[in-house]
Amino acid sequence: MASIFGFFVTHFGILRKEFWPLLVGGLSNGFIYAMVAIGYTMVYGVLRLINFAHSEIFMSGGFASFFLMRALIGSSAPGGVASVLLVIGGVLGGGLAGAFMAMVLERVAYRPLRRRHAPALAYLISAIGASYFMFNLAGKEFGRYNTSMAQPFVNHTIFTLFGAPVQMLSMIIALVGTVMLITLDRVVGSTKLGRSVRAVAQDAETASLMGVNIDRTIVIVFVLGGFMGGAAGFLYGLGFGINYTMGFTPALKAFTAAVLGGIGNLRGAAIGGLLLGVVESFSIAFVNGAYLDVVVFGLLIAVLLFRPTGILGERLGRSA
Amino acid sequence: MIKQWLGSPLARRVGTTTALAVLLMVMTGPSGSTSQPTAGFVQSFSERSSFFGLFVTQRWLVWAALALIVSALIRVAKWLKSDYAEMVAIPGRLARSAQAPFQTKKPVRFGTYGVLMIVAILLPVFVTDGFWQQSLVEQVAIFVLLALGLNVVVGFAGLLDLGFVAFYAIGAYATAWVTGALPAAAPFGVHLDPFWAIPIAIAIAMASGVLLGIPTLRLRGDYLAIVTLGFGEIVTIFLNNEYGITGGSTGSHQVPHFTFHVGPIKYAWGLGPVPYYYLTLGFVVLFLIIFSRLEHSRVGRSWTAIREDEVAAESIGINPLKYKVMAFAIGAASAGFAGVMTAAQTNFLSPQTFLLSFSINILVLVIFGGMGSIIGVVCGALLVQVVSTWMDHYTPFGFQSQDLYMYLGAILVAMMIFRPAGLIPARRRKREIAMSEAGEGHMDEMLTGDTP
Amino acid sequence: MKFRLNKTVAAVSSSALLLMAVPAVGIASASGAATKPTFVIGYEGPLSGSNAQLGLNMVFGVQLAINNANATGKLPFRLTLAKYDDQGSNTYSPAQAQAAVANKKLVAIVGPAFSGATQAAEPYYSAANIATVSPSATAAALATGIKNNNFMRVVYGDDVQGAADANFLVKIHKANSVYVINDGTFYGAGLAQVVAIDAKAMHAKVTTNSLPQTCSPGYAPVSEYAAAATQIVAAAPKAIFYGGYYCDFGLLLGALSTAGYKGAIMSGDGSESSALIAGTSPASAANGVYLSAAGGGSGGNLTGKLAVAYQKLAHFPAKGALYATQSYDATNMIIAAMQKISVKGSLSTIRYNLKNQLHKTTYKGLTGVLKFQSDGNLVGAGKGQINFYQVKNGQIVQVGHN
Repeated sequence: MASIFGFFVTHFGILRKEFWPLLVGGLSNGFIYAMVAIGYTMVYGVLRLINFAHSEIFMSGGFASFFLMRALIGSSAPGGVASVLLVIGGVLGGGLAGAFMAMVLERVAYRPLRRRHAPALAYLISAIGASYFMFNLAGKEFGRYNTSMAQPFVNHTIFTLFGAPVQMLSMIIALVGTVMLITLDRVVGSTKLGRSVRAVAQDAETASLMGVNIDRTIVIVFVLGGFMGGAAGFLYGLGFGINYTMGFTPALKAFTAAVLGGIGNLRGAAIGGLLLGVVESFSIAFVNGAYLDVVVFGLLIAVLLFRPTGILGERLGRSA
Repeated sequence: MIKQWLGSPLARRVGTTTALAVLLMVMTGPSGSTSQPTAGFVQSFSERSSFFGLFVTQRWLVWAALALIVSALIRVAKWLKSDYAEMVAIPGRLARSAQAPFQTKKPVRFGTYGVLMIVAILLPVFVTDGFWQQSLVEQVAIFVLLALGLNVVVGFAGLLDLGFVAFYAIGAYATAWVTGALPAAAPFGVHLDPFWAIPIAIAIAMASGVLLGIPTLRLRGDYLAIVTLGFGEIVTIFLNNEYGITGGSTGSHQVPHFTFHVGPIKYAWGLGPVPYYYLTLGFVVLFLIIFSRLEHSRVGRSWTAIREDEVAAESIGINPLKYKVMAFAIGAASAGFAGVMTAAQTNFLSPQTFLLSFSINILVLVIFGGMGSIIGVVCGALLVQVVSTWMDHYTPFGFQSQDLYMYLGAILVAMMIFRPAGLIPARRRKREIAMSEAGEGHMDEMLTGDTP
Repeated sequence: MKFRLNKTVAAVSSSALLLMAVPAVGIASASGAATKPTFVIGYEGPLSGSNAQLGLNMVFGVQLAINNANATGKLPFRLTLAKYDDQGSNTYSPAQAQAAVANKKLVAIVGPAFSGATQAAEPYYSAANIATVSPSATAAALATGIKNNNFMRVVYGDDVQGAADANFLVKIHKANSVYVINDGTFYGAGLAQVVAIDAKAMHAKVTTNSLPQTCSPGYAPVSEYAAAATQIVAAAPKAIFYGGYYCDFGLLLGALSTAGYKGAIMSGDGSESSALIAGTSPASAANGVYLSAAGGGSGGNLTGKLAVAYQKLAHFPAKGALYATQSYDATNMIIAAMQKISVKGSLSTIRYNLKNQLHKTTYKGLTGVLKFQSDGNLVGAGKGQINFYQVKNGQIVQVGHN
């Protein structure tokens, strides 16, 4: 009993001492999870399908922006306007690569099954196969090791938040993440394009009768989710470097975030991502680093068992 | 004019054929690196490669020729008025016509089993190469066992389990534990022979299957896949980190071999693969008999009912959870048993053997062979494992073993697109897929939402 | 039992059998000198996977030595190289060892390269009496744990390296508190343990921690070193020692830099690779890091013509290719011993005799005079054999030796 008490005293001590740094780190990761989670949630909302290969879209974005950064950045560290342009370029480069790969994925691995009205198990297996194919092909073509990305800006501490240093990279992740999440919310919520997405999500058959092109809408969903995921790959690569298996763990966490927020729900995915990032970061105070994944999986299982509809509830069509 | 041509079926075919040839070329071509990202792709065009010693030529020529031939064959077949669906059905029709005598005449049937059995028994006599003898045990027999086990879960009960490797790991580590090869003290301080580990490992694996299954098997099918995947990862993380219990990432090197000592008969298995081959073969046959009995038993029929329509099954008094947990436990038991065999045969354990990719490998065997079809799964496992070991060993046209999972991934996608019921489909499964595609019934409880 | 047997089954099983029966068609090389018998020297080490660079450094050293020996024309036999890729992992090495043992022409192994892989593979080699001369497996415990005396190595063990590293941090660098991390591998844990014990003996405050390897084959490298870095920074040590390989070390360095760690950081030969700098994110986080490796203090490198020939084979320079020289020496030592024994008998006799002959051989190599003790370690205390390096502006620069 005393030892359990001692455990909490020590570990809450660490949490109290390191609260702000952990919060900053957690939110920074959380934005990345949120951006990836959007991809899961949108595809799920429309197709009722877990896009298992979304991790590889994230990875594609990482690699594309890696090559772009290397081509654009010379030996000296850029600054000022150049930095801003490079970050925008990286987001666009990663995002477009992600969107393109998502399109190819939909065309090759999903559409033939959709044409046949294949059972849902078939989609999942096809997606798993596509994921393994894609990341191993990337490993073959680009090498199976970590590579750091050329940095478009000098990553220094720009201000301190209650004693916690906030670095340039965290700020950029937060900024890009916020802008993209809000934009997407607006696009889906109040444009014609978004209306067709919501219509298909609510009732595909009726939407099709009303003249919505279902194939086109599904491609749009993959492209939007792929863009977010690819851009997240760029931001993640800036911090941790790139690698052919880089998608696996972040994407699993993002999936957890999507379930946590209520799968199929855009705002839920954003909130779930941020929440998961913070929870994960705070658990640093309590567990050995290797067990962080266990915490996340545990959370996933708990949510699925006790509140499978997540925080905000399911359905893309209704609440976005 | 050009626009018209681009929209024509011919243009489509040219496009698909070219894309396929390029993809195959890049897949089999040399590797690149981040410093030279285009090297692999560019060299795929220029590199010359020996094709089984028959001729040496540029790789792309071979693939382009192959793609053209396949495309031409399809044309010819279409021209002969047998449409695409018929083409795909040809192997199936062949299979059906060949089946009839085996199903009616008992002596012929058992004769065939006998012949196959004799071939299996005599195999080590013909295969004298040490590497292949070893591979027969490690890469083929063990994988057949594992595929049979996963087939119960995926094929019979229709549950996608991506954490199957966890039960394999549990079996292997349980063996190390009771034989005293782990840092954790052996139970009761006795170091048992691996033979005694068999019931213990199976019991532990089954128990963990039940413990995982009871809460999670209520979930929808796609969630179940992710949750089992998470379970597999948690087990690996635990094995990798708990030095005091599992030996951490170093694993254990001291698992003893099987010994048999009853009265005057004394036998000890050793480094040689052949005795292990016979031991494993014996158990494979045992599991084959058990599982094919199970398929046609009350339990097997209940699984089919649940798989096809869970609500209907429930209304006729079948408790879905009970039967799903049962499938989970039986699958786990065979994986746990395979773990015992591996641990004792290699004397060695490490958490890095038990990764998600291993589960995917087993899944490929089941999907390729045919979900729910015992004979299909056995053939699928034989074919995929022998080919992959062969490629790994002889590295034809520059194959690299680290690319194996790329090919396995491609197999999964291709099977789902072209032959979802597998190489040798189970008749029941095939019908279910056809039903689902025609929009009747609900195959797997996953198909509750309408997929547009 | 109701198996539905059919033609497909027959086709499948017969084609599977056929494949097994087909030998390596087309890979068989043309036999040039028909009169001379051909023998194979194997190399086992990581040629793919996250830590492949170290293995590639070595395998071209082995190839170079074999090419040179064949080119002299004086050998009574021809030698070829067989590569066994264990990815540096103890998971894959037993299978590779079995494949090597099954090779009907293989007489000896250069390698295995990594200590954990060596430990897992040795039972197979020792049962077949195959001599394994490792250019790089430095774990101290290897020399004591293996039967049949078939394990030898041309580098000094981690007891020598660890002592030198502890001395460097505590005595030369004046760090009175050292945070010793190991990656949980046989090699990393062994080296870290030596450093911890020796640093403690020098009255430094030692904290130990284990952060299991994440870069092993097929495993996704993860960002979770952030947690460890936070805990390390909270402990505020003067110096950090990491026992492990470059892939994970790079991830840790990135996390430490993000967490704002300012003290000295050191690692051993497993991290001494230019791939460390390429894999650290941001790359600047590797600057200032100290590394150590057995190198032969007095210029034990491939130079001149050898360096040119090496680069031609490897497509990367010999300079900075850690363990290339050791592999070259190890191979030459095997070839020297091979010339002393009769190559007429059965394979198992040749393997056995070669192993014994290696224990009797004294060979003057590029890294020094090589002679084995009965446990497989080199004779001598290893003074001057451990080099210290530092990363400066993205380059690994030698800064001294023990």
